[in-house]
Amino acid sequence: MTGANTGLEISVDIAALGDFMPLHLLLDAEGRVLSAGATLLRVLEGETVIGARFEDLFEVRSPGGAITVAEVLDRAAERFRIAPRCRGRVGLRGLGRRLPGGQMLLNLTFGIDLIAAVREFSLTDGDFAATDLAMELLYLAEANAAVTRELRGLNMRLEGARIAAEEEALTDPLTGLRNRRAADLFLERMCSAAAPFGLLHLDLDYFKAVNDTLGHAAGDFVLEAVGRVLRDQVRAEDCAARVGGDEFVVVLPGRTDPQMLQAIANRIIRRLSEPMEFEGSPCQVSASVGIVRSSDFAAPDAAQVLAAADRALYAAKHAGRSQAILLGCTAG
Amino acid sequence: MHMDAGLGPYRASLGTVMDALLLRSLQSYMRDTFGLPVWQAICRRSGVTTETFEPMLRYNSGLADRVAQHAADVLGRPVETVWEDMGTYLVTNPSYEGVRRLLRFGGVSFTDFLHSLEEMPGRTRLALPEMELPEVQLQELGPDHFTVVCRSRLQGIPRVLVGMLTAMADDYGALCLIEPEAGGKITIRVLDSAHAAARRFDLALPER
Repeated sequence: MTGANTGLEISVDIAALGDFMPLHLLLDAEGRVLSAGATLLRVLEGETVIGARFEDLFEVRSPGGAITVAEVLDRAAERFRIAPRCRGRVGLRGLGRRLPGGQMLLNLTFGIDLIAAVREFSLTDGDFAATDLAMELLYLAEANAAVTRELRGLNMRLEGARIAAEEEALTDPLTGLRNRRAADLFLERMCSAAAPFGLLHLDLDYFKAVNDTLGHAAGDFVLEAVGRVLRDQVRAEDCAARVGGDEFVVVLPGRTDPQMLQAIANRIIRRLSEPMEFEGSPCQVSASVGIVRSSDFAAPDAAQVLAAADRALYAAKHAGRSQAILLGCTAG
Repeated sequence: MHMDAGLGPYRASLGTVMDALLLRSLQSYMRDTFGLPVWQAICRRSGVTTETFEPMLRYNSGLADRVAQHAADVLGRPVETVWEDMGTYLVTNPSYEGVRRLLRFGGVSFTDFLHSLEEMPGRTRLALPEMELPEVQLQELGPDHFTVVCRSRLQGIPRVLVGMLTAMADDYGALCLIEPEAGGKITIRVLDSAHAAARRFDLALPER
């Protein structure tokens, strides 16, 4: 870094030097400290600085192998890195020159360790020269953190809204059960994973009579009750869905035992057949259930399984209602 | 009442980051100070379909001024006061501590801070390049006597600045007369720059 040599020389008193360079270090020809800037003194707090040897105060990080200040200046006067021996976490970058009298002048900066240094030494804006970009760097780091935090918040809020919307798109609002779309997706996933499952296709009996005699409000009341019963009777991993007016599908992963499925269906029918009262009027429904199992199909696909469940339901209706029929392998 | 989804370029022109920030700030200020039902009433009156404004999304240009006018009507006070109080809220509310901190980086004293106002758009662009802060011009009329001229497409901005300047004077412990005038002009007289103790400001962000 050689400027035009005009032969012009100036003298600066040490206090003014300190104002311009609060992180300077002035050493005598032997490498002993003559003066240090106020901010550097804060970094070296607790040490006797004036008169101390450079190598006792600092460890040289680069140039590698250099120990004394003379070695540093001989090898990398333009750019070297040192760290205070007492506070090794904060590094300093520097530039140095030999002065005409044999003294050595170093000017130091925290560089990218600025933020750590401000925290560790509780530095204030008065610790930096007005020409230093330290404030801008600190400002930028904080502004950047604020923007990032805001974006992270937005992402989380959007994700929450997305999950809620997705949940809503798969839910039947009246019963709180899954809807047809959700049941189709669930069934397709089970089939494509070749996972074993049982499926109940349920249709209410006498529902039309309730609707016709007591009105739609009574019908809705019954459907809500069915929703509660089904939610009670299935596990968290099962999928209970309302797939039509008074038609329901329950998919039960892992359940392929015929007696078990029959028992679950019977229990549901029993619960649904319990008398209900809507605004003082009794309304009695029941249910017919068609049962199929994935194991009844060589390679089950959703449409095939639903068609078989529909046939089983039809058979249950024809057998006199209020019952569950499991369609055997022969029907598949 | 005209309907406005608020979000997206359905009508009028799309606002800037500033529009969104004003809407979000108004939302926080109203909800924190007057409660959720008041804010919901303001949103209903404004005909917006949302009650939550996102600072990183874009809303229609001019929506912030319209919502603020409805807030003023609901509260029964001038819209200028609503903006000023919101400006003060942004500097003094602990949940917006970041705003105060970023402003305090501007200078070691209140007058030093005033001189940094002209740098504010440049500083902000460093962090958020698309952010267009309104142009601010500071004139030093004499010792401790300044005018700030703040021009913005958004009518509320100069008044928000008045509220923020008032709060920042307190923060620095300076006793000031800060008076809004026509045309986005603000007159500031610093009566005593060390009237009270300044609020503590550590350069290092407190560790969480």
